[in-house]
Amino acid sequence: MKNLNLIIREAAEQDLDQIMELENSCFGNDAWDSDTMHFEVVAHHTYYLAAFEGPEELPNLIGFAGLSKIPGNDQADIQTIAVSEAARGKGVGKALMLELLKEARRLHTAEMFLEVRADNPAAQNLYLNLGFEHIDTRKRYYQPDDVDAWVMRLQFAKTSIGREPVVLGIETSCDETGVGIVRGNTLLANIISSSMDEHARFGGVVPEIAARAHLEALKPTLDQALAKANLSLKDIDAIAVTNGPGLGGALMVGIGAAKALSVAIEKPIYAVNHLVGHVGVDILERGELQTPTVALLVSGGHTSLLLVRDLLNDVELLGETIDDAAGEAFDKVARVLRLKYPGGPEIDKAAVGGDPKAIRFPRGLSLPKDMEKHRYDFSFSGLKTAVARWVEVAETKDEPINVADIAASFREAVADVLVTKAVNACIDHKVPRLLLGGGVVANARLRELAQERCDAHGIELRIPALNLCTDNGAMIAALGAQLIMAGRAPSSLHFGSDSTLPVTTVQTH
Amino acid sequence: MTNFTLCIDTSAGTTVAVLQGGEIRSEIHFDENMKHAERIGDAIAQAVAGAKITSARITNVVVGRGPAPFTGLRIGIAAAVMFAEGVGAKLWGVASLDAIARAAFVERGESTASAKPLLVTADARRSEVYWALYSGLTKSGAPVLLEGPGVLKPAALEELLVGKEFDRTQIKINAADLGKVFEAQLLDGTASSNVGALYLREADAVAPKDLREFGKRVSG
Repeated sequence: MKNLNLIIREAAEQDLDQIMELENSCFGNDAWDSDTMHFEVVAHHTYYLAAFEGPEELPNLIGFAGLSKIPGNDQADIQTIAVSEAARGKGVGKALMLELLKEARRLHTAEMFLEVRADNPAAQNLYLNLGFEHIDTRKRYYQPDDVDAWVMRLQFAKTSIGREPVVLGIETSCDETGVGIVRGNTLLANIISSSMDEHARFGGVVPEIAARAHLEALKPTLDQALAKANLSLKDIDAIAVTNGPGLGGALMVGIGAAKALSVAIEKPIYAVNHLVGHVGVDILERGELQTPTVALLVSGGHTSLLLVRDLLNDVELLGETIDDAAGEAFDKVARVLRLKYPGGPEIDKAAVGGDPKAIRFPRGLSLPKDMEKHRYDFSFSGLKTAVARWVEVAETKDEPINVADIAASFREAVADVLVTKAVNACIDHKVPRLLLGGGVVANARLRELAQERCDAHGIELRIPALNLCTDNGAMIAALGAQLIMAGRAPSSLHFGSDSTLPVTTVQTH
Repeated sequence: MTNFTLCIDTSAGTTVAVLQGGEIRSEIHFDENMKHAERIGDAIAQAVAGAKITSARITNVVVGRGPAPFTGLRIGIAAAVMFAEGVGAKLWGVASLDAIARAAFVERGESTASAKPLLVTADARRSEVYWALYSGLTKSGAPVLLEGPGVLKPAALEELLVGKEFDRTQIKINAADLGKVFEAQLLDGTASSNVGALYLREADAVAPKDLREFGKRVSG
């Protein structure tokens, strides 16, 4: 948690004194007595969590929460939730709720209920954001304050079809037309058609060319994906589509296609976030996403560092590039070195046998003064300029240009700054996991350096298969399937594209 | 007749109609020449619902191929391709300017070849217009193209057509007219399954001459 050394574990009898103290301070004359609390905490049909802050030797209870689910009944209730006044507004309540939801899901809960004071909008918003709906109001429920209670419900099974959903994902945010199909957490097909070659002579992605290529590629890519999965459109339970971030004109081709398909086959549509898709793709390889995790997403369009506490509910952008994306820097430096597009693999090739320490190119936003404001942000514009200047100076002096050394030194600078900031994020947030995503992950040196540094710090490194790292439809389908299995309602048909969609918006309604 | 035709055009606004044997069963128009991505799903869903059928009853899908500004045009074509795929319908393409021409000729009360040609233009942005010149309608009611389609500055178009006699029209594109052109073309045997976008302009991009140009520029 931000600014908190938070530990959440199941509550036990020995926590009762601290729990009662917090109960009394939070609920006053509405508080439960200690016998009731004792029964609640130790009962077999309940699950209580306690949240502590502070040094491990002497943790201080700052919150607790519990749910009740009678075996054989598929409904569960949030019994209570309390956070000490001093610890409010720091995400403790949300963290407790997420853990309770996880447990409820594990217990095959269909519906979960809770009551919240009508005069507590902060709590109501928390529950609404977690997918609860306000279904009823109990008049003057809280006495003696004479305050109404909102009854709220989360339907885990609302869109559930009693089995794992088969989801078709469509991705058109940049120069890759991706159609993927998943069944629950299982990958069935992942077909990618790239317009990369058409951009080669321009040295970078041309949005209009990308959008035209999507229109041509969509149907053949869809046909191939269905053939690969050995399914017909009749087998598809839902459609997921990327609606941002990305190139507007390119995104709109996928959105138009996905909406029409949704109306044609009369199946729900989910508009999902491209970057969160990159994170969720790990589910297809491991069956689950282990959280919390830091995710470093590096491509020709993005360089983002995310802290993911929960894939659907809690994704935070720690930092991103303030100018060029890392992939763009590779492309531009490749041009300076008269290498081909895309620059990543060309520079990788050129760097073979080069000395990565030959030239000390700058590490963007790594000086102490930058680290205060831009600890997790990236900048590659200065690096690219430094390479261009270095080549120019060498040419003016008629010195030989050692392309291998320049390529190796440039690549080292990019990999170093990416990995340093990602590992810093893991250490700062006490997160023992780093997930890589995006096309630049294909870069051998980046993977190697990430592995070295993660090993040195005891951080587990996850690198999905390359065809799941680059932009693809399978990751979009996988994220759609997660939303469905979490009971989320489909998106409307009104959503549009959003080139700068924030990572906090996992699904656009 | 039980053949239902879904007609989609996003060359200007978003317009969708369902036709059954020459009869308009429903039509939905969103006039803004933006927001096609937002509108297209509702427009199709409402047109199908308005015709009191399910999507699966659609046997033909007709889409306007432009010419038109690219971003919006593509959304309609992508939607048509996928809808046809989704319901297993046949897919057809019609030039959007043809639909306007047909409507204008019909309004003029001429169902067969007319004496005076008709100039149809549409906004191409960047102070240019898309244009096509038509001589009239076939007996079935399909427009007959005389010249075009092309994209020009208005002054250049006037110059090109100087000395020629023709009428102009202010009629807006309507997906139902697009469907009627298709039905006429089907009778004439000229209906086309080509749904390729009529861009008439290259994608905006200039390949750098000197690949090191960029490096010089930033360091200079």
